[in-house]
Amino acid sequence: MWSFSTLKAEELSPEDVTFFESKIRPVLVKHCYECHSADSEELGGGLRLDTRDTVMSGGLSGPALVHGKPDESLIIQALRYDGTEMPPEEPLPEAIINDFVNWVSRNAPDPRKSQEAPIPKQEKTESDLWSLQPIIDHKVPDVKLVDWPRNDIDRFILSRIEAAGFSPVEDASPRFLIRRLYYDLVGLPPKLEQIEEYVSDFESRGQLAVSDLVDELLASPQFGVHWGRHWLDVARYAESNGNDGLSRNPTFPHAWRYRDYVIESFNQDTPYNQFLKEQLAGDLLPTDSPELRDRYLIATGFLALSAKPAKAMNNDFDMDVVADQIDVVGRGLMGISVACARCHDHKFDPIPTRDYYAMAGLFTSSETMWGLAGNEKLTAPPTDLHVLQTAAKVLPPEDFVETVILLESDTGKPKAIPKPKWEIGTPLAMGVRDKKEPADCKININGDSKKLGESVPRGFLSACQIDEAENLSIEAENSGRLQLAEWITHENHPLTSRVMVNRIWQHLFGEGIVRTPDDFGKYGEPPTHPQLLDHMAIRFQKNGWSVKQIIREIVLSRTYQLSSSVDSQLLKGDEENKLLARHNRSRLTAEELRDSILAISGQLDLTPGDGSIIRHRDILVNKAGNLHQPSRHRSVYLCYLRNSPPPELAAFNLPEFTTVTGKRDDSIVPGQALYLYNNLFVIEQAEQLAKVLQDSAKTSEDRVNLTFQKILSRSPTADEKKASLELIEFTQTETQNELKSWSSFCQSLMMTNEFRYID
Amino acid sequence: MTHSRRSMLQTVSCGFGYLALQALCGQPVQAESSDGSLSARIPQLPARAKRVIFLCMSGGPAHMDTFDYKPQTGDKPHPGSVFEFKQYGESGLHISELLPETARHADDLCVINGMHADTTIHAQSFLQLHTGDRLRERPSLGSWITYGLGTENQNLPGFLSFNTSKSSVYSSSFLPSIYNGTPIGVNGESMAQATISNVTSSHLPYSSKEKQLDFVQRMNHQHVLQRPGDQQLESVIESMELGFRMQMSAPDLLDLSSETKATLERYRVGQNSEQIGTCKPSDFGRQCLLARRFAEAGVRFIEVNHGSWDQHKNHRRDLTANCNATDAPVAALLDDLKLRGMLDETLVVWGGEFGRPGITPGDKKDETGHNSRGFTFWMAGAGVKGGYVHGKTDETGARAVEGKVHFRDLHATILNALGLPPNELKYWHAGRDHRLTGPEGGKVVTELFA
Repeated sequence: MWSFSTLKAEELSPEDVTFFESKIRPVLVKHCYECHSADSEELGGGLRLDTRDTVMSGGLSGPALVHGKPDESLIIQALRYDGTEMPPEEPLPEAIINDFVNWVSRNAPDPRKSQEAPIPKQEKTESDLWSLQPIIDHKVPDVKLVDWPRNDIDRFILSRIEAAGFSPVEDASPRFLIRRLYYDLVGLPPKLEQIEEYVSDFESRGQLAVSDLVDELLASPQFGVHWGRHWLDVARYAESNGNDGLSRNPTFPHAWRYRDYVIESFNQDTPYNQFLKEQLAGDLLPTDSPELRDRYLIATGFLALSAKPAKAMNNDFDMDVVADQIDVVGRGLMGISVACARCHDHKFDPIPTRDYYAMAGLFTSSETMWGLAGNEKLTAPPTDLHVLQTAAKVLPPEDFVETVILLESDTGKPKAIPKPKWEIGTPLAMGVRDKKEPADCKININGDSKKLGESVPRGFLSACQIDEAENLSIEAENSGRLQLAEWITHENHPLTSRVMVNRIWQHLFGEGIVRTPDDFGKYGEPPTHPQLLDHMAIRFQKNGWSVKQIIREIVLSRTYQLSSSVDSQLLKGDEENKLLARHNRSRLTAEELRDSILAISGQLDLTPGDGSIIRHRDILVNKAGNLHQPSRHRSVYLCYLRNSPPPELAAFNLPEFTTVTGKRDDSIVPGQALYLYNNLFVIEQAEQLAKVLQDSAKTSEDRVNLTFQKILSRSPTADEKKASLELIEFTQTETQNELKSWSSFCQSLMMTNEFRYID
Repeated sequence: MTHSRRSMLQTVSCGFGYLALQALCGQPVQAESSDGSLSARIPQLPARAKRVIFLCMSGGPAHMDTFDYKPQTGDKPHPGSVFEFKQYGESGLHISELLPETARHADDLCVINGMHADTTIHAQSFLQLHTGDRLRERPSLGSWITYGLGTENQNLPGFLSFNTSKSSVYSSSFLPSIYNGTPIGVNGESMAQATISNVTSSHLPYSSKEKQLDFVQRMNHQHVLQRPGDQQLESVIESMELGFRMQMSAPDLLDLSSETKATLERYRVGQNSEQIGTCKPSDFGRQCLLARRFAEAGVRFIEVNHGSWDQHKNHRRDLTANCNATDAPVAALLDDLKLRGMLDETLVVWGGEFGRPGITPGDKKDETGHNSRGFTFWMAGAGVKGGYVHGKTDETGARAVEGKVHFRDLHATILNALGLPPNELKYWHAGRDHRLTGPEGGKVVTELFA
């Protein structure tokens, strides 16, 4: 059909241009652009009126106008308040409406350029966002201090330090370095004997001693405990749903299997690309081994851990579950927020709404299995679970009776607990599997699942299309999650490897190269060392996506091994330590603090925790009071209930675990001091240590020495010894209780910054 | 080693009552420029308010059915108020039939009907209301105020957030963390049980705890001396002191057993315990009573929370429930502040992250959405004009048309009332000065004050 809209701007008559510029454009700008332009906060009805093409391509209700036919044009109907009412506040004056009628009658001449027209469907979304550009193997820079670097990481870092006119600080002393390595690799303090042995080894063998220590720590099963915990933060792992918005919080009695899977994966050094494939599509991976089959099914628990809002009265429930899955894949694996596109094209990052629903189709074609949801259907309907073939059947203790019962709202009598479909003790796992009839998802207009737009073929982000990949086309009978996994882990995917090496870097340095680890978008922080980030991403892939290998490379760099002491000039010149000319001092995390206290009191049980205290309990946590039990296992095995965190950890900025947390808050609040003063766990462990001391050292002086050695890995100075004895004596006089006088002293050393910070 | 902090503690640890008394008598405890501590400071400008109680109504209260009366005008039905309004007090202020108790204070209320904000996304607007920024974590209003003024009572935090949600709402962000808000009751935790975690234990007598703290701080001072310039370590030392003092003062203040039955009844403590639609059982009465007690004790900034006012469906039922849950407690708080002569120096602020579009009476709809282009806040106390209405929305309540007040202007006005120059209260971070009112700055709404 012939249409004026194909006319180029320069072909319009001068009168047309004048008419548009004087009568039409000012009105559009003043009254329409707020909701109908590229800059709109929320694009009204999907319609943009800020370019010629978008006026014609229209919004969710179709083109805004029909050339020459004002009465049939939506824009005129809306201005006349006929059906639609625009602008919403009040109708425009009759004269202006007549101008628009006139304009449409003249075939709506519009000189505006179409550069800002929306992206044609199915095509790559162009973007100049740094993180979407291909990963480049940059040339390793030259440095002046040629003898300083130990590896290429050091060259990238040093060249920036030199360019800024600074020099790196001294290397960390071996005593500080071993403590740093222990905490960074296994999350525990070294024992005094281990320190002494290492220090003498370092004196004779230097870096060989370091690399031996690193290899030993990487091989320790405690490595997986520590690094698994980092991943569980990203995976928003928790053992209950969390407040559903109506204060109900059902347990996830089988979530712990995913926790164990993660810990094992880090210990086995499962290649990261394989690790992701298992979590996104484990149910679809081929295997002959029933053990491996179980493992893969458990891995898909990653997609089932959503903190769901209540099902009751919520038409969007299914799409809320999908939103969480898209978010954990988007921000967790790719460092990009896709979530905004649920309702409108992303304002800042190149994520159109179509992409959101292309990805949503992958998950609406999958069945998400969270289990019985505390037997409370108003919170979530019960679902099936994966039944495991090789895991042991574990029965509840013989005398176990469920005490948390729901009451009928009308009679007040206990509701009967429905009999589960599985025999008691059947090993089960949360997860996903393909639906029988996968289907594409329709756009939910403004995120409302009752207002459906067109259907979008299942797919991924159009801003990271990987053209040469062959195995990415989704067949009608599959959900497409396997292809999602292949796409995300493709070597040319610009985000996946960068995001993971950045996470690893952050855990070793306190800050990432990108300091917003879950946001590589426009509003995230740009990388401090973009070339190094690429260099590491390539190294990571070349080494078979081995997490242990990349950690090894980083901690053996000279950069990592720098001291955290800093002179005032460097401090002033680089307050935020963006040059990494020194190491960042860091505070023990909630888990590290608890584990360290248990380690020094001699109470820590390094064997893996078995299952979970809620493994037989499909209940509402909010009805249960305190479910937590004391434990001597490492903190990762505590029960991470949402909205009811383990009390031994809660004071130290534990995240809420409802969403991806790549970086924990480390703010200092008086509640932490109160924890150290008054928490029963701290008091009890201090007492335990005091008892050990009573048995192992005779004189008070020896005991003070031993306490310093156990907690601070050093002997006290003369002043400190004197002050310690004074404190002990004072408490003895006040309480007339020898154990208290010593445990109060032990508690004091556990409170010190020296104990709680790593240099 | 220095003992200055410890000796100061010793002076104040037994002197909580004395300090609070001093504060109540209007004497600043200590005057100095902002030094990264919590010591009370003399404000730079003449101050009308000494403290703020923020009644945070999360979810977006429907302004047209609470304080912004929109009767039908003209022939064509249009969105407006669907509940009845009456005029109250000498001022004849229009207040909804849902708020009869608050209406008793009509002549104290300064209603701002021309509020507007930037977004209708809850989380973003809620963050902007609290921090001035809707996307990034920035220092909260309460943190800026304690940064600027310190606090009157050195035994308590300067900034409390009751029945709160995300930490980003009470975070000090890049300001020193000593200005972080202290949460009491998070994520719908029952307010009757809510306390400051780990605030007491009886394992050691006070004297031993104090000696223990002395020892720890001595170690910490030595430690930081060898690590100069480390703000974190300094902050820990400060927070160890504050934590120690808190355990002496806070438990008594949180314990309502000394309040009379009549008082508990006036505040409706423990009532409204059933969830009705979006209206959650927030025990708002207890929060308001605690707010009064902590205000008396000299806490600088207290936020109490009730929600959710986000009644999309069942507008009439849920709005009624929200009003019922908050009306009497708010009125009791105002009563008590007045009775104690504290209202003159306490700025009470009521409002949420935005308002709601009106319903057209008679069209049978009972649904509303979000509206950030026009909504209502009110203030009381600290010399604001009572029974006064500032600004207005158009006749459908859809947008502010006169006397427009943005969140940054609200922030500027609050800071100014406290004697802090709103656009000069700054903090250097990441290479530039930051302020609560953002790059655009905020305009003090001077018309609100008598």
